[in-house]
Amino acid sequence: MQLSLVGLSHHTAPIEVRERLHFPEKDLPAALHALVERDAVEEAIILSTCNRVEILARLTDDADARSLLGDFLSRQRRVPRDLLDKHLYHHSQREAVRHIFRVAASLDSMIVGEPQVLGQVKAAYATGRAVGTVGSILDAVLAHAFATAKKVRTETGVAASAVSVSYAAVELARKIFGSLEGKTVFLIGAGKMSELAARHLRRSGARAIFVANRTLARAEELAKELGGETVRFDELLNFISRADIVISSTGAPVYIIKKEHGARFLAERRNRPMFFIDIAVPRDIDPALNKLNNIFLYDIDDLQQVVEANLRQRRREALRAEEIVEREVDRLLGRLKRLEVAPTIAALQEHLHGIRQQELERARLRDLSPEQHTAVEEMTRRLVNKILHGPIAELKRLPQEPNGLKLTEFARRLFRLKE
Amino acid sequence: MSSLWLWAAALFYSLGLAFALLTVVQQRQTWFRLAMSGIGLGFLFHFVSLVERGITAGHFPVTNISEATSLFAFLITAGFLLAHRRYHMTSFTVFALPVVFVMTLAAAASQHPSPTVAPILKSGWVPLHVSATLVGYAALLLACLAGVMYLIQERELKRKDPHAFYYRLPPLETIDRLGSQALAIGFPFITVGMSVGLLGAMASWEAGWVQDPKVAISALLWVIYLLLILSRVRAGWRGHKAALSAILGLAMALVSWGANYLSTHHAFLGH
Repeated sequence: MQLSLVGLSHHTAPIEVRERLHFPEKDLPAALHALVERDAVEEAIILSTCNRVEILARLTDDADARSLLGDFLSRQRRVPRDLLDKHLYHHSQREAVRHIFRVAASLDSMIVGEPQVLGQVKAAYATGRAVGTVGSILDAVLAHAFATAKKVRTETGVAASAVSVSYAAVELARKIFGSLEGKTVFLIGAGKMSELAARHLRRSGARAIFVANRTLARAEELAKELGGETVRFDELLNFISRADIVISSTGAPVYIIKKEHGARFLAERRNRPMFFIDIAVPRDIDPALNKLNNIFLYDIDDLQQVVEANLRQRRREALRAEEIVEREVDRLLGRLKRLEVAPTIAALQEHLHGIRQQELERARLRDLSPEQHTAVEEMTRRLVNKILHGPIAELKRLPQEPNGLKLTEFARRLFRLKE
Repeated sequence: MSSLWLWAAALFYSLGLAFALLTVVQQRQTWFRLAMSGIGLGFLFHFVSLVERGITAGHFPVTNISEATSLFAFLITAGFLLAHRRYHMTSFTVFALPVVFVMTLAAAASQHPSPTVAPILKSGWVPLHVSATLVGYAALLLACLAGVMYLIQERELKRKDPHAFYYRLPPLETIDRLGSQALAIGFPFITVGMSVGLLGAMASWEAGWVQDPKVAISALLWVIYLLLILSRVRAGWRGHKAALSAILGLAMALVSWGANYLSTHHAFLGH
């Protein structure tokens, strides 16, 4: 069995190369057919995302994976071989399994822990299965890769914290308020980023949204989009204390909200906490507001700092994830080794012929003439071989079937073959 | 003397604490079920030890420091389990369990056969006085622990540079709610406990009880407890101030507990 993975990713190739090699979804079935038509290719899937193009394949033992799959990619996407070779990597056997595990668990991603890549690997697998290029080995490898990705997700914090500024704002709001269910959001200024943050907040359960903007038309437009209401800009200071979360992004040259305003808001809302997010430059909100109890003020640099801390946290967690991956790769390879078809066939033959020999020994004790003995021996051997004929033919076909490994496992159990 | 059950309780609490630490430090939820099983088993054995102690002694087992400590630890665990049911705060375990464990251990280690118990401790009102007051203290202790958690998490959020605690502690509002609920539950108990003590004392100590320093300090503690609640309800103290005052309240309670040693009437065995 030769497992190989050939491809390129954002680690090795610039976008100019990646986009030339990218497979549109509709081309995939034809490409997979073309791939398995080559004699040396027994099973294959193609993973094509904006960050990577990779082929995972099971080849015959004597095939040269790198030149074979490299040649395929170059022909399919019409990219010159020498350009491709500069960026292509090739992993085989354990390394290939390890690589696809890491990709599925989002440890090889540009943003470690981002969740999309697992879905993309699953889609590649589904296409392979639908086209019929996924056999028993790839099926086992990928099923185990998905299980490992899930394990990494639940057992490490690799995907736990926000790594974009707008998500970091939502995460901070959660750390202050717990649930955002029913919270009120106030947007001062109608910038793109406030809109994005407001959308995230809304999706997390925030209820009412107020928008105040110098040009009323833009405020109305945004309020309509978000399902909120507008507040006149010169009246906003009278409204803000109703809001739990305030996002400010105006072009004002001086502070709109000063420290004494903050104290007034708190008195009006009986000290219920407030979260101010100031993404304006120059800033809209006096930084001194953060000194008041129950008020939390974050400007754009603060949010960036949280994002960076979260990224550091993810990287720490990624080290633990790598350990899980190594352990799971070992487990899978152990299982594959135990369930190879050729040893299973040999074990099955040995088992049945063993029984035959035992019974012949027993028969010899009775008085059979040599001629009779030869006849019995010949007869039983043919009998056993006839019984074996069907199972062996089936076993030989199993590697090409997606659930082949399970059936091999079952066959071993049925005949109680030792491992 | 029924020491074994209490030792077993301490052992299971320590196991629960160890797994809770693993859960929180490693952020691996899989350990937490083991932690809760440890705490649950500890709680069960603790209960058995209290019952057995009561049966052997023939009366409610709060006649010496060891027994009172044991009961107190038991009530804290009960409060913790209630809080856990409501809020599912994994990290709260790490704050509450050390207190429970140390107290249970201390109670187990200081067990000694009760000598002749002062007859007053057998009268009906004393168990009610002691246990209701202890429930009030246990609630105050949990509110104080919530206060500590609040201040740590608040600091993380004000400093804007998230560290280990930021990722592990629950949201501020949730911690604040836990603290205020603990006080709300504890207050009626401490009120009942102290009133019973007052009435009982008037009936049985004749004169003299008024000069007992413990009585004065307890009265002060009750007023502080009341202020803690009023400041939340009336003045809208929340978060930072509420957390600080809960911690202060517990400090007062510790003074009051210490006053047992000054008091003639609260020394459990009498002089």
